[in-house]
Amino acid sequence: MSGPGTAWYLALAAFLFGTGALGVLIRRNPLIVLLSLEIMLNGANLALIAFSRHVANGAGQIFALGVMAVAASEVCVGLGLVVALHRRRLALDVDTLSELRG
Amino acid sequence: MTGGSWLCLLSPLAGVFAITLGGTRISRRAAAWISTGSVGLAFAGALWAFLSLRSQSGHHGELTTAWTWLQSGNFSAGLTLLVDPLSSLMMLIVSGVGALIVLYSVGYMDGDDEERRYFAYMSLFVFSMLLLVEGGNLLLLLVGWGLVGLSSYLLIGFWHERPSAVRAAKKAFVMNAIGDATLALAFFALIAHTHSLSFASAFGVHLSSTAQTLVALGLLGGAVAKSAQLPLQTWLPDAMEGPTPVSALIHAATMVTAGVYLIARTHPIFEQARTVELIAAGTGALTLLVAGLIALVQTDIKRVIAYSTMSQIGYMFMGVGVGAYANGMFHLLTHAFFKALLFMAAGVVIHALAGEQDIRKMRGIGALMPLTKWCFLAGALALVGVPPFSGFFSKDSIVAATLALGWYGKVFWACGVLGALLTGLYTFRLWFLVFPGEPSPFVREHHHDHHGQEGPWTMLVPVGVLAVLATVGGWLQFAPVWHPLTTWLEPAARTLAVAEPTNRQEYFTSVVTVLAGLLGIGIAWAVYAGGRLRRPSLPFLQRTLEHKFWFDELYDVLFYRPAAATAVLLRREIEDAIVLPTGPDLARTTMDAGALARRLQTGLLRTYVLFLASGAAIVAFVFLLAK
Repeated sequence: MSGPGTAWYLALAAFLFGTGALGVLIRRNPLIVLLSLEIMLNGANLALIAFSRHVANGAGQIFALGVMAVAASEVCVGLGLVVALHRRRLALDVDTLSELRG
Repeated sequence: MTGGSWLCLLSPLAGVFAITLGGTRISRRAAAWISTGSVGLAFAGALWAFLSLRSQSGHHGELTTAWTWLQSGNFSAGLTLLVDPLSSLMMLIVSGVGALIVLYSVGYMDGDDEERRYFAYMSLFVFSMLLLVEGGNLLLLLVGWGLVGLSSYLLIGFWHERPSAVRAAKKAFVMNAIGDATLALAFFALIAHTHSLSFASAFGVHLSSTAQTLVALGLLGGAVAKSAQLPLQTWLPDAMEGPTPVSALIHAATMVTAGVYLIARTHPIFEQARTVELIAAGTGALTLLVAGLIALVQTDIKRVIAYSTMSQIGYMFMGVGVGAYANGMFHLLTHAFFKALLFMAAGVVIHALAGEQDIRKMRGIGALMPLTKWCFLAGALALVGVPPFSGFFSKDSIVAATLALGWYGKVFWACGVLGALLTGLYTFRLWFLVFPGEPSPFVREHHHDHHGQEGPWTMLVPVGVLAVLATVGGWLQFAPVWHPLTTWLEPAARTLAVAEPTNRQEYFTSVVTVLAGLLGIGIAWAVYAGGRLRRPSLPFLQRTLEHKFWFDELYDVLFYRPAAATAVLLRREIEDAIVLPTGPDLARTTMDAGALARRLQTGLLRTYVLFLASGAAIVAFVFLLAK
């Protein structure tokens, strides 16, 4: 087996995940929030695949495929919501969209 | 045989469903005739079962199971009917006397607002009683036992607009519930030891003597409550609040004798716990005296007969208790005839006097109602046991059967003879107060006849039939000479050898009890008709008897008041102080906590994510530390 060691992949995965989480936390535009979420999911995917290669077991890759499917459907719903918000001329700001507050 | 038993059991049930589901679509009269017909059909079924059992060699009886009803582990109980000599005799009594009394109700209840309900209950009762006597295992017997209690409750409280009737119904139900509980406990003990409630296994197994005694005591408790024996007797007189045919059917002829049937049916258990069986006999002996004494001072015509019922069931208990099962069942049979007759004749009188039941106002009614008068006289003579009326044959055989036992047998014998004296006294006190002589002004004013007759034919025919049966019914058996009933019952309940008196003892007892009964009649005549004797003035005794030996008051002090006081105490100390404030307190705390937690819900997506992320970070940190 060649290439960088598993630790490097994990570090990159953690970096991607952290970047995404930061994006979700500090950005208010739902489009960017969705984008950051994708980055987080891909960080997780990278970790799954890295572990999969590390233990020489294909299960992690299958999981990654599953996560991709989830991510795709999540983007579908999310973008649909964004379009719906735009059509009703509402502000694209997650902080003002708080009607379901308890 | 089995066809007859199923027809007998299910026909009254069909009557119940027809009347209940028919509702107002069928007329009240139709409901009455459906009920009469269904019980008559049950009698035909009983006759069928009886005749086919008779033609069977040895007539040991037959079990028939429709389906397995309950199964749990190695315990199973089926919907099983048993036709044997004992149950076929009971089936004939219940459905035969029942049919006559339901026919009588057709006339008696005519015009009542809720006739349909009455006849539905009546059929339900007959069904329950038949289930009790036909049940092929103890579980079905218990089901019938509970159902007769229920229908008795419903019928005592039939006139539910009368508070006294509702009270009486409740009292009967509660007293019976005590017996039902002990009966159920006995069955639990049997299940624990034998894993079965079928007659064969329950009677075949030899338990330890403690278990045997406990089971027998439980059965005795049930019998005592249902049959209104001491100390659970107080409900029966109050049960007279029900319509008179109900008193005749349930509280004289059939249901209250279920205790006697129970002892005869489960006699193998009692025989292994002979002490308990003798306790049953002793209870009977005591009850027959106490009830006879109380009957002396009652002024309500139905209550006098009710106390005499208790007293006669005391005789039956004495009979089955000493082991003379056939004699006890024989008295049950003749008692069903003459006591139903007395109640129904009394009902005719009450009907003619527009509901009046006070015997002090009824003097001379016999002059206006000769047929009722003579029928009542036949019943009264049978009750006292004057030959050749039926009571003579059955009662004397019970009293004679006690003589063969040891010293306690002599005590029972003395009680029986004294009871015969009391029977003559209270029965003919009633007779001389009500029937002979010139009609009193009250009677002249209130008496009304039914289109020139003493009552509708539906009431007079059953009274007449029963008068004949009460006269000749006893000729079935005269122990020293012929005893077909004892022979018939032998496969089901063989009379114990210790309870078989010699012929000399039989004749001696007969002479003594008849003389005692005649003496009682003589005293009653001298005091209430002839005027030769003044009624002795014993204020304390009089008051004691009028208060029925203070049993009601005793139970009030012993059970009701402590229970009520405890309830008040618990209400004040527990309910008001602890339970009631707890609810609101709990609600307030929850609401406060909710208000606090509400602040966490900002509605801002980013705060939620922050919580999530910091939670995950903490978990990760903990894992790192733990490593």
